[in-house]
Amino acid sequence: MTKWITLEHGLVVFLVVMFLIPCGLIILASEEASYHMVSGEPVREAANLTGITIASVKDTTWNLPGSTGGKTYVLTDTNGNSLTLETQAFDSADARDAAIRLYNSHPVGRGKPVGSLVVVGQHIVYATPATSPILEKITPLLKEKARSAGIAK
Amino acid sequence: MTDEIISASPVSGKKVLGLFALAMINVAAVLSIRNFPSMAVYGWSCIGWYIIGAILFLIPISLAGAELATGWPQGGGVYAWVKQAFGEKGGFTALFCEWSNNLVWFPTVLSFIASTLAFALTPALANSPWYMFTVMMIAFWGTTAIAYFGEEVSTKFGNVGVILGSIIPAILIIILGVWWFGSGAAIVLPPLTLGAMVPAINFSTLPFFATIILLFAGMEMAGFHALETKNPQKDFPRAMALSAVIIVICTVLATLAIAVVIPADKLNLASGVMQAIQYFFAAAGMPWLVAPMAVLITLGGVVSLAAWLIGPAKGLGIVAEEGNMPPMFDRTNKYGAPVAVLVIQALIGSAISLLYVFLPSVNQAYWILSAMTVELLCIVYILVFASVIKLRYSQPDTPRPFRIPGGMPGIWIVGGLGLFGTAFAFIVGLMPPSYFATSGITYVGSVLLGTFILAVPPLVFLKCKKPGWLKNAGERR
Repeated sequence: MTKWITLEHGLVVFLVVMFLIPCGLIILASEEASYHMVSGEPVREAANLTGITIASVKDTTWNLPGSTGGKTYVLTDTNGNSLTLETQAFDSADARDAAIRLYNSHPVGRGKPVGSLVVVGQHIVYATPATSPILEKITPLLKEKARSAGIAK
Repeated sequence: MTDEIISASPVSGKKVLGLFALAMINVAAVLSIRNFPSMAVYGWSCIGWYIIGAILFLIPISLAGAELATGWPQGGGVYAWVKQAFGEKGGFTALFCEWSNNLVWFPTVLSFIASTLAFALTPALANSPWYMFTVMMIAFWGTTAIAYFGEEVSTKFGNVGVILGSIIPAILIIILGVWWFGSGAAIVLPPLTLGAMVPAINFSTLPFFATIILLFAGMEMAGFHALETKNPQKDFPRAMALSAVIIVICTVLATLAIAVVIPADKLNLASGVMQAIQYFFAAAGMPWLVAPMAVLITLGGVVSLAAWLIGPAKGLGIVAEEGNMPPMFDRTNKYGAPVAVLVIQALIGSAISLLYVFLPSVNQAYWILSAMTVELLCIVYILVFASVIKLRYSQPDTPRPFRIPGGMPGIWIVGGLGLFGTAFAFIVGLMPPSYFATSGITYVGSVLLGTFILAVPPLVFLKCKKPGWLKNAGERR
C-alpha cells in the first residue's frame, strides 16, 4: 500500500514535470524582446540593405489599444517572391505584449496562427506568409537593429 | 456486451446524451468564430481551402469516427478505438497525445476568451497581464468546475453555450452578409469564378495547407462520451453527419460574409476576430451589436474550451480505470467526473498560462509550442485512421452499425486520404518560419524532442503498471 502511494505520487510528479520541463525550458530559454525605442523605419532599412524592392508602402493603424501606427509594405525580390509586411508601433510594453498575445491566441483551428511576428523594440512586424526567402533575408537585420537600439538605450 | 461494459464502469453516469447533444459536443469542439477572419483574407479561394480541409480531414474523420464509435462504443473515445487495433500502448499513446496537446493549447484559447471579453468591457483591459491572467483562470477553473458536476450539467451548459456562443454569432454574420449582398452595397471581392476559388498552393503556402487540414480537428470529441450516450450505435453516425453539416455551413458562409464586406487589407491577421467583427458591424450600420457579439463569442470560446477539457480527461479516467495509471488518476466524484485528472490538467494548464501571460514576447517559444501541438494532434489522427483500416482486417466480423461504404476500397480511400492529410500536416508542421534564428535542424530537433517528451509518459506508466491499479482491485476505494 505504502509502496503504491509512493509510486503513485512519483508518477503524478513525473507527469507534471514532463509537461513543465519542455514548456518551461522552451519559454524561459527563448530570448525575450525588450521594449525600447527603435528609430526610423526598420523594414525599409533592412530591405534597402538586402537589395529587396519595396513594391508599395502605405500607412496603417491597427485597431488595438496603444497602437500608434505603422506601415504596410509589399516587398519583392529578383526571384519573383513577394511578401507583405505590416509594422505597428505601440506606446507601451504592455500594449505591445497584448498584441503579441492576441496574435498567438488566434491559431486557425488547432494549428498555428497565420503568418509570423517579429518584435523590433516598440514595433511588431507581421509577415505573411511565414515562410519566405525575403523574410529570411531581412529578419537578421531587423533583429540586429532591435539589439543595437536596445544596447544604446 | 456494451451493457456489461457500461454496468461495470463506475465512471459511467446516467445515459443523458442523445443525437443533438452529441452533435453539439462536436460543434463546440470544432466551430470557432475566430477562424473566420483568418480565412476571409483568402477571398473566394477560402472555398478551395475549405474543400481541401473537408476532403483530407473532415469527411475522413467523420466517417472513421462513425464506424469506430458504433463498432466499439466503449468509453475512452480514441483510446478505445486505437486500443482495439494497436493494443494498450497505441491506445494510451493516442489519448495521451490528445490530452497533452490540450495542455499546451489551453493558454491560447484562454487568452482568446479574456481578450474577447475585454472587447465587450474596455478593450484596453487586454493590455493588463493581471486582468488577462485573472479572467483566464476564472474561465479555466470555472469550466473545470462545470466538468466536476458531471455529464448532465456539462451537457446542458454545452448545448446552450454552443447555440449562443457559436451558432447564433455565425448565423448573425451570415444574415448580415446576405443582407449586405442584397442591399446592393459594394462587394469587396471580385466576381466569383471557378479560378478564383482555387487556392494558390506553393512552397510559401505549404504551412497554411497543413493548418487547413487540422481546421476541423475535434470531430472525434463525441466519442469520449460513449458511456453516457443513450443509443451510440444509432446516434453516433447521425451526430457526426449533423455536426459536420452545421460546421461546414456556418464556417463557409460566415467566412464568405466577412470576405464580401471587409476588404482584405482591413482584415488584419495580427489583430483579432473582434477587430474584424467591429469593422463588419460598423459597415453594416450596427455598431451596437459589437459588445453583445463579444460576449457571445467569449461564451463560444468557453464552450470550446469545455469540450476539449472534458473529453480527453474522461478518456484518461477510463485509462486509469482499466489499471493503466495509478489509482489517483481514476478518482471520480459522485457525478462520475474524473476529478483527479481534471485537477491535474487545470494545475498544469494554469502554470503554462502563467508563463504565456507574463512572458508574451518570447514569440519564438510559442511558435515551437504551437508546432508541438500540431505534431501531437497529427499523431492522434494518424493512429485513428490507421486503426479504422487495420480493424477491417483484424476484426472484420465485429458488428459495425455504420460502415464506411465501398468495402475495402472504400476504407482505404477514406482512411488513406485521412492518413495522407495528417501525415502531410505532421511533416509540414516541422517547417520553421523564416524568421527563426536557429538552424532548421535545431528547430526540427526541438519540436520533435518536445513532442516526444509530451507523448512518452504512457510508456512509462505501462512499464510501472501494477495489478493493484485496476479499479476495485482489493476494494481499495
